[in-house]
Amino acid sequence: MARLIMERLGASIDEVLSATEKTENTSSLKNLNEDLSEKLSVVKAGWGERYVNRVHAKGKLTTWERIEALKDPDTQVFCVGSLVNWGREFEGSKKPAPGAGVVTAFVCVAGRWTMVIANDNTVASGAWWPNTPEKIQRAQDIALKLRLPVVYLVDCSGLFLPEQSRSFSGARGAGHIFKKNALLSAEGVPQIAGVFGDCIAGGGYMPIISDRVYMTEGAYMVIAGAALIKGAKDLKLTSLDIGGPEVHVHQSGCADVRVPDDAACLLKIREEIERLGSSATEFYRHGATPQPPLEAPEELNTLFPADYRQVYSIREVLARLVDGSLFHECMPHVGKEVVVGVGRINGLWTAFAANNAELTDHPEKVGEKRPGGILYKEGIAKLAAFTRACDADGIPLVWLQDIAGFDIGVEAEASGLLGYGSSLIYSISTNRSPMFTVLLRRCSGAGYYAMAGLPYDPVVQLATPISRLAVMEGKTLAIATYNSKLDANFEIATEDEAERRAIEEGMQSTAARIEKDMDPIAAAARMDADEVVPPGEIRAWLEVLIESSYQSSGYRRVKNPRIWSLHDLEVLVRG
Amino acid sequence: MFRRILIANRGEVAARILRTCKKMGVEVVAAYTDDERDLSWLKEADDTVCIGPVRSYLDQDALIEAAIQKRCAALHPGWGFLSENATFAARVIEAGIGFIGPNPALIRSMGDKIEARRTMKRLGLAPIPGTDEPLRSLDEARKAAEEIGYPVLLKAASGGGGRGMRRVLQSDGLKDAYVEASAEALSSFGDDRLYMEKLIEAGRHIEFQVLGDHYGRVCVLGERECSIQRRHQKLLEESPSPVVTNEQRAHFTETISTVLSKAGYTSAGTVEMLRAPSGELYFMELNTRLQVEHPVTELTTGVDLVEWQLRIAANEQLPATFPTPSGHAMELRINAEDPERNFVPTPGVLSAFSFPESDDVRVDTHLCPGDEVSPHYDSMIAKLIVSGPTREVVIERLEATIPGIQIEGVQTTLGLHQEILANPAFRSGSYDTTTLSTMQES
Repeated sequence: MARLIMERLGASIDEVLSATEKTENTSSLKNLNEDLSEKLSVVKAGWGERYVNRVHAKGKLTTWERIEALKDPDTQVFCVGSLVNWGREFEGSKKPAPGAGVVTAFVCVAGRWTMVIANDNTVASGAWWPNTPEKIQRAQDIALKLRLPVVYLVDCSGLFLPEQSRSFSGARGAGHIFKKNALLSAEGVPQIAGVFGDCIAGGGYMPIISDRVYMTEGAYMVIAGAALIKGAKDLKLTSLDIGGPEVHVHQSGCADVRVPDDAACLLKIREEIERLGSSATEFYRHGATPQPPLEAPEELNTLFPADYRQVYSIREVLARLVDGSLFHECMPHVGKEVVVGVGRINGLWTAFAANNAELTDHPEKVGEKRPGGILYKEGIAKLAAFTRACDADGIPLVWLQDIAGFDIGVEAEASGLLGYGSSLIYSISTNRSPMFTVLLRRCSGAGYYAMAGLPYDPVVQLATPISRLAVMEGKTLAIATYNSKLDANFEIATEDEAERRAIEEGMQSTAARIEKDMDPIAAAARMDADEVVPPGEIRAWLEVLIESSYQSSGYRRVKNPRIWSLHDLEVLVRG
Repeated sequence: MFRRILIANRGEVAARILRTCKKMGVEVVAAYTDDERDLSWLKEADDTVCIGPVRSYLDQDALIEAAIQKRCAALHPGWGFLSENATFAARVIEAGIGFIGPNPALIRSMGDKIEARRTMKRLGLAPIPGTDEPLRSLDEARKAAEEIGYPVLLKAASGGGGRGMRRVLQSDGLKDAYVEASAEALSSFGDDRLYMEKLIEAGRHIEFQVLGDHYGRVCVLGERECSIQRRHQKLLEESPSPVVTNEQRAHFTETISTVLSKAGYTSAGTVEMLRAPSGELYFMELNTRLQVEHPVTELTTGVDLVEWQLRIAANEQLPATFPTPSGHAMELRINAEDPERNFVPTPGVLSAFSFPESDDVRVDTHLCPGDEVSPHYDSMIAKLIVSGPTREVVIERLEATIPGIQIEGVQTTLGLHQEILANPAFRSGSYDTTTLSTMQES
């Protein structure tokens, strides 16, 4: 019987950092966190009070009021894609599209995590903008991977027509949402729709595939509204006459239940969720009681140095994420540039694969150190073997990225790093356990890929306000771009003063542009990260993600710890 | 709210429902049978549909077809006919049409008197002391009778209308009564199972009006007393009952609300109870529909019960509280019958049919002068409901109103009603279910 020796990680923040470091780190991140929080509140406000009043005047609740009524009291809502379309302008609209006009979020309903997809009725009456379909599909994908019940709160006037060319016809155009509806249904994921208002054209298909469809008295679903029906004006026909609950609940059978208003609809949706099988998380805790980390998770807002080139201890990070700050590190004596192991999140087994930013011993050259935050052969092999074990054992895997890239140079290539890297890529590409990626800081080059960056389908990818997502750092990229003008030491190789100045300016502007691209807000706006999260909130997020991974039983492999292949691996490695 | 509903009923019932629908702006499709196509009240409906020959109000297919054809969002079964038919309710719902009544499972379980008794007992509403299971032998009957205490009543498990029923006053009469009742039950209902309950003579029929919504709330809107009966047919009802105490009312309001909420009761319903001369109230049955006598509750509470049936069916929530009943109301059922000739129905054409108008007087009827009272259906032609601050005032008002009523062409029970109102036992409030027959015998 294999036992797990858990180590108490971490020390109090005062032992880890000097008073000056604490102040510097905190103030630097504080500004970024505040800036983030300000942007999120702008998104949450939609188009503002005027539009909120407009919704209320119709006797309806706003989207956020609906979510508030739907969720369990005293639980937090965890949005994904809040910053989609941030800073983006649209030719056809004087106003931006905060959150792409839709709220997608993990919401706890009747003790179960659900994925709520709710049109923001304070933004262009819940219309679909460019990236709205993609954002909805992203949420559907998350639900599909974790088998989370999906709740659609539909209040959608259709495509935002002036921008239709960018949301209608592509492979991920609006229609693909309905395909996802169908795929969710085919996989047995419960879908429940509440129709609260307009539900026109494409919007009309979204609820229908849902297992239960509720309609308020003011709601209608139509392929085309009264505006497009010839003669409707003469007959004084409204869209409500054509596709209201009177028609769909009692004649067409396209909806199941009519309810008087928003509040009643949300109550009924809660009842539906209650009817579903209860959460399996308590079972999968195997008797463990959830406990917070002994070192406060909020201290992650202080732990990271203001300068991204400075190091910190990844074990101090882990100490602020896992239950009781207890962690079992696997294969600690090889590939020290990465740390892998298991700990519990709210009592549930969770695997971690993290970069170590600190200097580590060179495996061959005795007494020599080499920089961390880089993938060497040993670390890559360790990650590949560990992730294969997690796949075999069904342990959800959290990646903590702070990676500059793969090792480069003559030795690296000769040692077959391309091959080892490909093995790791193969492992993560075929992993069937839920994976979550957190971009702690740097996330560059092939390292970003090999550590389960977004192209490798983690269920959710979180960034922090200090994430730096780009193929390489700006200065490195400038060197690569201007390579032909540089000497062996990357100095500008010209005698011509004017040319030197031009190259210098070119390199600087390239570096500056990359610096801008690396802004996590911009990454989230492009949907390259699902959400930007202050480091101090990562633990809370992991609680949601890991509970969600264990909530539904019977659809994926979850081995009990006695029979983990991880134990075999350790026996073999330790000898 | 529903835009259009079908009323799957006739006569006074349909006309009553139609009145509320008009007030609410809900369109009504009225179903009628060939023989009733000329009734004047049909003109009040937004649309009408013929469902077939006489008595087609029991034709489930015709009614469901009619609702679909006429694009009705819901169907109101009224009371009587199919209103307590669980299969009909289920078929209506499966057709996508809202059924304005409780869910089929509840209708079914409350329709089975033994199951209803068992369920209510389990949930905390005590029935008349008796056996929960059918008796399996005379021996078992003897044991049960000793436990319950004589006198007892033997009743057919699938019975009704007094058949297969025997009073047993003492132990020596049990054997004969048991044999006779089983035989009668077998020949009448094809089922010889009997059960036994405590015989309560000179009991009083008290019933509580309830409304339950789809959110777990059940409200009790006071009680009615319906002890003036001839052969188990109610003739006069009033609210409140002169005999229910404030403590009892408070107790049963609370208990019934809790019990029916646990049972998941929805829509309007009536909990019928028997009051023993000793003062206790026992659960008898739960009627999963509106009652004929519902107007007395409407007049003492100001609540339109039909309106709430529609609202509940459209998933609206009940308010936290309804107004506490106040004042008094009494209903007289005016039947086209001849009380002198053992209440034989007296169908015919109404050559005159009018009622004095007053704020305190409500008349529920579907008939107009010139309409024919059909021999095919129930003989009730109108309900006279009068309200007032006290029972005494209501009786006075009724006595003043009746002489102004003009009904010609048929015999009615109005004369009998006048006798009841004048009866000292009735006036004093100390009457029971035997009062009317005693009165008529003397």
